[in-house]
Amino acid sequence: MANVNWRTINIDALDPDSPANFDLSSLTPSVTPVSTADVQSTAGQIRQLLRGGDNEGALQGALENPPYGGDDKGKEVHLATVIEILQSIRQADMSPILSRLYSAPGGTEVLDVLMKYIYKGMAQSNAANAANTANSSRMLTPQHTSTRMLTPQTTGFSQISSRGGEGGGQAMSVLLSWHEKLVEIAGPGSIVRVMADRRTV
Amino acid sequence: MAAPEVNHLFHHPIADHSFSADRQTLAVARENNIDLYQRSGDKYTLKDELTGHDKTVTGVDIAPKSGKIVTCSQDRNAYVWEHSPQGGWKPTLVLLRINRAATCVRWAPSESKFAVGSGARLIPVCYFEEEDNWWVSKHIKKPIRSTITSVAWHPNSVLLAAGSTDGHARVLSAFVKGVDERPEPSPWGERLPFNTVCGEFLNNTAGWVHSVAFSPSGNALAFASHDSNLTVVYPSQADQPPKAVLSISTQVLPFMSLLWSSETEIIAAGYNCEAFRLQGSEDGWQLAGSLESKGRPGVQDQREESALNMFRQMDLKGKVTDDTKLKTVHQNTINTIRPFEEAGGNVTKVSSTGVDGRVVIWSL
Repeated sequence: MANVNWRTINIDALDPDSPANFDLSSLTPSVTPVSTADVQSTAGQIRQLLRGGDNEGALQGALENPPYGGDDKGKEVHLATVIEILQSIRQADMSPILSRLYSAPGGTEVLDVLMKYIYKGMAQSNAANAANTANSSRMLTPQHTSTRMLTPQTTGFSQISSRGGEGGGQAMSVLLSWHEKLVEIAGPGSIVRVMADRRTV
Repeated sequence: MAAPEVNHLFHHPIADHSFSADRQTLAVARENNIDLYQRSGDKYTLKDELTGHDKTVTGVDIAPKSGKIVTCSQDRNAYVWEHSPQGGWKPTLVLLRINRAATCVRWAPSESKFAVGSGARLIPVCYFEEEDNWWVSKHIKKPIRSTITSVAWHPNSVLLAAGSTDGHARVLSAFVKGVDERPEPSPWGERLPFNTVCGEFLNNTAGWVHSVAFSPSGNALAFASHDSNLTVVYPSQADQPPKAVLSISTQVLPFMSLLWSSETEIIAAGYNCEAFRLQGSEDGWQLAGSLESKGRPGVQDQREESALNMFRQMDLKGKVTDDTKLKTVHQNTINTIRPFEEAGGNVTKVSSTGVDGRVVIWSL
């Protein structure tokens, strides 16, 4: 006993009631599972609206049915749909659309979902960029690529490393202007909600 | 609306504060001690210091009738301080039997017991045992999954609301045989033995709960969580789903503390450094505005506007206006907001304290 360093014992692991020993998802509202096929079919319907020129309807439709219960694949499909809609809307139309969405019933919820997709999109375009640059510069030493891949995670200033990929920069500027307009309407409360929410998109 | 009365006590965060019933004594939790301030004129002067805790004091509450002060701290202890006739305060240690910090403490309206929130996923409910001359604690344990951040009593002194970092606000029974009388049936339930769970509430976002409060009648519960939501629950009857659960998603930063000023009005304050008024009923609630009167004339923001001062500012700081001050009265997060004065069952004045070391009294 004498040589056991009791300060390093993880007492939480020994306590049956401790948070380390129960399912955290039991604390959050349950989400219904959604199959990837379902997500794809809604994506199809939404694209139909988009092709018909109804950007606002498409955005609303996409944000009202976020696939919280979907798997990674399904979530990715829906993210792609939302990003496509966001890119199809002109900058001048953003604020009017957002205020109409906000004043509709359940508007704050819809805008919170949009905020989630904006953040997810920002994370995504970095990852895609890092992958792109890595692919396009195969001749680089493996060491080099690996540092490149690592930079966004370690510093957090991922835009710096993604300067090379022009496409990603454009996607980012669209997301940033949406973010600016969204915070004007939904306030910092929306950002805090996205951070606190365990229902991820 | 009269201008708020601002008292800047010191440059330290105030974790909690409490006024005595006659509003002459103010107790504030300052680091490891509790400072007692006495009102003299329109100022508060330091009169006494309660020392005994050896870690940050997290909660302080003065019982309105008996004048006893209960304090709790991160050192896992609670003390009950009684004013001795010779002057000075006599502490009595309360054994909470918890292995994590105590986070908050509140006297029951009956003043015969108090509840302490803790990081040990339980709520010690403490009452005085005459025979042993000793404060005893009984633990409410069952459904709690994480740290209790706030506790609030129902007017009947039996039901207790607790907000937790697991995202739930719970209504529990803290009935102690021999101390409490059998409570009147209420929408929360009829038979209420100790540790009965009368309700567990969660909003969609499930952010951790900062503050809970019962309405003056006790027939509604409000809680504010870190997702910038404020949720109001109207129970129907025992073992039935509530009549209404209304969640207000605000545009502002989360609220740290809330109180009901009447059955239809809630005052809440937090990270926005200002207090907000919310109004509503079972049919819906909304944010009705800030307690700050915007563009108050002649307070703080209006500075000397001479040319000399302008050039001095430009020389010193490279700019004319001093933008290091917030436009709000509080200059940092508000931690606690409490009723200060009541009239006809409604709260007419509230007091707030925060990280900036200010005590502000607001007229509603």
